[in-house]
Amino acid sequence: MVDYINIALKGIFVENMIFAYFLGMCSYLAVSKTVKTATGLGAAVIFVLGVTVPLNWLLENYVLMEGALSWLGPEFETVDLGFLSFIMYIAVVAAFTQLVEMLVEKFMPALYGALGIFLPLIAVNCSILGGALFMQERQYSTVGEATVFAFSSGIGWFIAIIAIAAIREKIKYSHVPAPLKGLGITFIITGLMGIAFMSFSGISL
Amino acid sequence: MKAIEKMMRKMEPDHHGKWAKFHPVWDGFFTFLFTPGETTKKGSHIRDGIDLKRTMFVVVMALIPCLLFGIYNTGHWHYVAVSGNFDLPYWDQIGDKIIYGALQVLPLVIVSYGVGLGVEFAFAIKNGHPIQEGFLVTGMLIPLIVPADVPLWMVAFATVFAVVLAKEVFGGTGMNVVNVALTARAFLFFSYPTMMSGDKVWMSGLSDVANSPEGFTGATPLGELATMATNEPIYSSIDAFSAKWSVWNSMMGYIPGSVGETSFIMIMLGAALLLYTGIASWKIIFSFFAGGLAIGYLLNATAVNGYMELDPVHHIMLGGFAFGAVFMATDPVTAAQTSTGKYIYGFLAGAMAIVIRVLNPAFPEGVMMAILLMNVLAPLIDHYVIQSNIKRRMKRLKTA
Repeated sequence: MVDYINIALKGIFVENMIFAYFLGMCSYLAVSKTVKTATGLGAAVIFVLGVTVPLNWLLENYVLMEGALSWLGPEFETVDLGFLSFIMYIAVVAAFTQLVEMLVEKFMPALYGALGIFLPLIAVNCSILGGALFMQERQYSTVGEATVFAFSSGIGWFIAIIAIAAIREKIKYSHVPAPLKGLGITFIITGLMGIAFMSFSGISL
Repeated sequence: MKAIEKMMRKMEPDHHGKWAKFHPVWDGFFTFLFTPGETTKKGSHIRDGIDLKRTMFVVVMALIPCLLFGIYNTGHWHYVAVSGNFDLPYWDQIGDKIIYGALQVLPLVIVSYGVGLGVEFAFAIKNGHPIQEGFLVTGMLIPLIVPADVPLWMVAFATVFAVVLAKEVFGGTGMNVVNVALTARAFLFFSYPTMMSGDKVWMSGLSDVANSPEGFTGATPLGELATMATNEPIYSSIDAFSAKWSVWNSMMGYIPGSVGETSFIMIMLGAALLLYTGIASWKIIFSFFAGGLAIGYLLNATAVNGYMELDPVHHIMLGGFAFGAVFMATDPVTAAQTSTGKYIYGFLAGAMAIVIRVLNPAFPEGVMMAILLMNVLAPLIDHYVIQSNIKRRMKRLKTA
């Protein structure tokens, strides 16, 4: 149990996808104009991460890793399909994004309109593939750990995007110098938020 | 007074003349010295002598006790470092200490004000808007939250960085997202860690002392405490720590640290002024301390190492906790704006400060990072407080 809590706290704060690794920046910068759409995208990212990472964990441990196929028989013990992991992971991610897109379109058409192109683009959101690759690199020992890691990374991303969306709503009427309006100031805010999130860097759980 | 006013009036640059660009500079100095008598031509106007400059000046006055005490404290620890005698009587050689402290601290103040106001003036001239006086407080805060030995060019660098990137790009005073003075400190902390942390910087002049007596370190109480959470604690128990650094000493401020942060009493003097004039929010100060104490007692209850056993009351007297609570967290621009939000914001900031101190070995002091973190989360807190208010009222509307 303590392990799970540690993984969760690490994923949300210490190894925040945005502020520790700067992953998933494109949609983070582009869809953070209002808290409402940011919440929607953040929830979608949590969902996609939370489903694809455990799936990829299963794939990794029962198909791709060296010796993972040994359940088929002893002759498969030396088979190493590790070179396929990128394409397999991204295929899983893409399939799930498609599913999420259909669900959102069906049940939340307003949000679907607001998210626009960025919803299908979750498929190429670096934080999703990043989540799968971190899972592979850190070699979580059970599917439970991988799931906790996936959800907490998603929640970390979610917090980051709604926080910056709230800031951007706040500074909507500030006299930001014209060349910096829009993306420019968002980059600067992200940097300042990164400094603030360094509060967690160094905590070892 | 009249003569000065007349002279200033004469110097006012013509709006179409050669010096028209510099009108904001003149305006800045003039309104700094005199309350402008002009009122709006039509519509309502408020007759009150208070404006942003006066507000800021009250805060600067509230900081003066900390500054004066900081000057003396800097002097004292310098003589401790030079003599190597840790038990040097505190109120002795008063003149020497004041002179040394003033020579160390006042240049910091001058550089911070000079550079910061220079940037402000440059932006005001460039954008053609009146000087914004938010820097009056920032310029005083920056010297108070750095070690007295920090090189002046670093202070200048940090000030420029903070004023430009944390304030001017957002549109100037009142628009910034994170506290400007804390951004300057964070910049120094991450860019020049050797000048901002460790055992050498907290007693002025210690790094120049060739060989200090054995066992003499210049670590702050918090720096020593941080070892209590590791495998090599320098104290056998937390009581040994409290024997060396008593609560009384940290309350009075007889401890090494950043220039203005050490004395709880002096900070409370400032807090009294800020609360009396209504400039700082008591909700934030109160909940900040409440958050710190709550986490302190929680850590007490679940203590697994010596650090966690520290008395929470002692905790909030050490380091920059009180200073952050009174002068940093209450910054009306970067704090939460809603009333409920202020409680949440203050509580989380105070709690985070202690959490970072105790649990994060990378930072012996967590107040700066905690407040910066809550600064960036404050708009989010406000957003949800407002949303919940709207929801509650909608409900009332529907049932009525």
